[in-house]
Amino acid sequence: MRVLIRGGRVIDPSRGLDAVRDVAIDGGIIRAISEQIEERGHEIIDATNCVVAPGFIDMHVHLREPGQTHKETIATGTAAAVAGGFTAVACMPNTTPAIDTPAVIAEIAQRVAQAGLARVYPIGAITQGRKGEQLAPYHELAMAGAVAFSDDGSTVENVRVLRNAALYARDVKGPFISHCIDDELHGDAVMNEGKHSAMLGLPASPRLAEDVIVARDILVAADTHKPWHIAHISTATSLDIIRWARSRSTAITCEVTPHHLLLHDDLFVDYHARAKVAPPLRGADDSAALRAAVRDGTIDVFATDHAPHTMEEKAQLLSIAPVGFSGLEVAVGAYAHAIPDLPLDRFITLLSTRPAQILGVEGGTLAVGARADVTIFGERPWTVDARTFYSKGKNTPFDGFTFERRIVATVVGGRLAYHAERGIIEPLAYA
Amino acid sequence: MQTRSAPRSLLDIDDLSRDEIALVIRRSGEFRTQLPDRSLLAGVPILNLFFEASTRTATSFTLAEQRVGADVITFAPGTSSLGKGETIADTAITLRAIGVRVIVVRHHESGFPRRLAEAFDGHVVNAGDGTRAHPTQALLDLATLHAEFGRFEGLRVAIVGDILHSRVARSNIVGMKMLGIDITLVGPPTLLPDAFAQEGVRIERDFDAVLPHVDAVMMLRIQRERIAASLLPALADYTIGYQLGTQRLRVLPKGAIILHPGPYNRGVELTDEALADPRSRYETQVTNGVFVRMAALDMLVNGSAVRA
Repeated sequence: MRVLIRGGRVIDPSRGLDAVRDVAIDGGIIRAISEQIEERGHEIIDATNCVVAPGFIDMHVHLREPGQTHKETIATGTAAAVAGGFTAVACMPNTTPAIDTPAVIAEIAQRVAQAGLARVYPIGAITQGRKGEQLAPYHELAMAGAVAFSDDGSTVENVRVLRNAALYARDVKGPFISHCIDDELHGDAVMNEGKHSAMLGLPASPRLAEDVIVARDILVAADTHKPWHIAHISTATSLDIIRWARSRSTAITCEVTPHHLLLHDDLFVDYHARAKVAPPLRGADDSAALRAAVRDGTIDVFATDHAPHTMEEKAQLLSIAPVGFSGLEVAVGAYAHAIPDLPLDRFITLLSTRPAQILGVEGGTLAVGARADVTIFGERPWTVDARTFYSKGKNTPFDGFTFERRIVATVVGGRLAYHAERGIIEPLAYA
Repeated sequence: MQTRSAPRSLLDIDDLSRDEIALVIRRSGEFRTQLPDRSLLAGVPILNLFFEASTRTATSFTLAEQRVGADVITFAPGTSSLGKGETIADTAITLRAIGVRVIVVRHHESGFPRRLAEAFDGHVVNAGDGTRAHPTQALLDLATLHAEFGRFEGLRVAIVGDILHSRVARSNIVGMKMLGIDITLVGPPTLLPDAFAQEGVRIERDFDAVLPHVDAVMMLRIQRERIAASLLPALADYTIGYQLGTQRLRVLPKGAIILHPGPYNRGVELTDEALADPRSRYETQVTNGVFVRMAALDMLVNGSAVRA
């Protein structure tokens, strides 16, 4: 299949390219990038007034399969991914069963192949069953395709287990990813501890519940020399701890979600669970600190923590309703809305180049000869309507928000997978 | 008197305007002098739906409802599946179809009455939700204060103890702020986080410094569970800082009153002596509760304009 992306502003941070160019794709590979490429039986994607970027990679999503397909399947999750401009996602291991054996990874790979939309990189568990007790088989998981390790959704509470895990896995490719929430401090919290929780009478999680585990995990990373990634950072103090770690040359990276950049804990006044998420939405000071940390480079990656649930589950009482919501399809709009003045090359680095580097996967570049994973976006105002999501999870606190930036097209392996006007373009496997 | 259309529900005290609060208190005083006939809410089906154990509040509501002539149904589902969110809307639809017009609800989770009110086509009265709100308790506390001092503006009230877990304190903070009462919260940081500081509300850790300057002191129940939750070292330690006992009764101004929403723990937040003190208004509060609830139900169902 030949594809010609015509007349877009091509921005490739990996090579310092920012210019209006045509991009020719053939056989799933980028064949040429130049000012004008002659059409020779290509499928044309008009990218006039749009940005053409290396494919976005979301290194933190929950695809719910195997085991929780009422919430999401790999097919619906990867459809949501390409609709959100992501050519690849890394899926967290809190599935049923957990991703702690090569067999589960093989099953995921099979489903991904059947879906034929976005690429999926499995993240293996740190401990068997994510129970925080026995180490998972890192070599086997890595050989099967795991790109990182995490018990996301849970914190490995036992420091001895965590240290041993990191020591054992030190030379296995792929970082550890921390879900930094201290269970005891968090308790049965449904929201952030602060002035709003005080008057709403809701059980609340202090910032310290995150900070104390960020600090602990950074010390374990330094002690074991294991590359480490901090997921969904939400507090100003956590950022300070990460800056301190880097001043000591500890290999620490971190990510931020769109909701922690944009939303606050005042969303709980109606006692609905649509904004219930872990870590909880914090206050305005924290989100301002997060935005500053994106600008100053402390934050490496934009990740969504896409965590779909059914409407029925989220409609329950706050104490019962699960944490999280769908994020893939609003992410790019939300990030741009949060930090509208962020330079485009930095925006793309956060969404593509850095996640590829951290996970050690192909991508994050538009170099000629590279795999043709391409994201095309433009400044096209749109209003979020969760009912139209491809994700099974029709829940987001951004419902009704108007964003300025929107995905125009997503090309995966040289094949047009999504176009704003045509929707998901079903792969041949579906035909 | 300025009036507005009848509030559909009473989820917290700020669902009423200042004038409506004054009206409820005035009417409750009238009822105390002379009970109305049973025509006020004659035949109005009211469901008392208590998901959480309650003796005083449930009894007080039931008596109030009977005295205004309502058809009272009492249902105590405990913490059964009815408490799960997916059935809130279905439950509400069913209850309205049966003919229930008013639901008086208590629930262990903050926000439940609000969610129920969204789905129920009738009046919802919050009889206490989680640690969130207890508006009729605040109304009876305000009625007790008004009966004593004849005014609200400028009164100085200290609320002492476990503010963090107290729905009574929260509703009183909201109501007292609306009415211009000077509020000081007193307690240790584990039971009274700094986050409670807000416009018009002071936080003070030193009970003895506050005590000489109050018109009323509201003592809150301290539960033994707080020790297990490592929020307190021991009840005896707590009493040193925050118990109202012999020494502090001497410092409490003569014209001040002692309030307690009950149930109280003798020897913990207050002593036998404090309960027996002539300034204690515990029994008056309980008595006022019935009349205030009669007046509040009348206002919700019949509208404030009717009685203004």
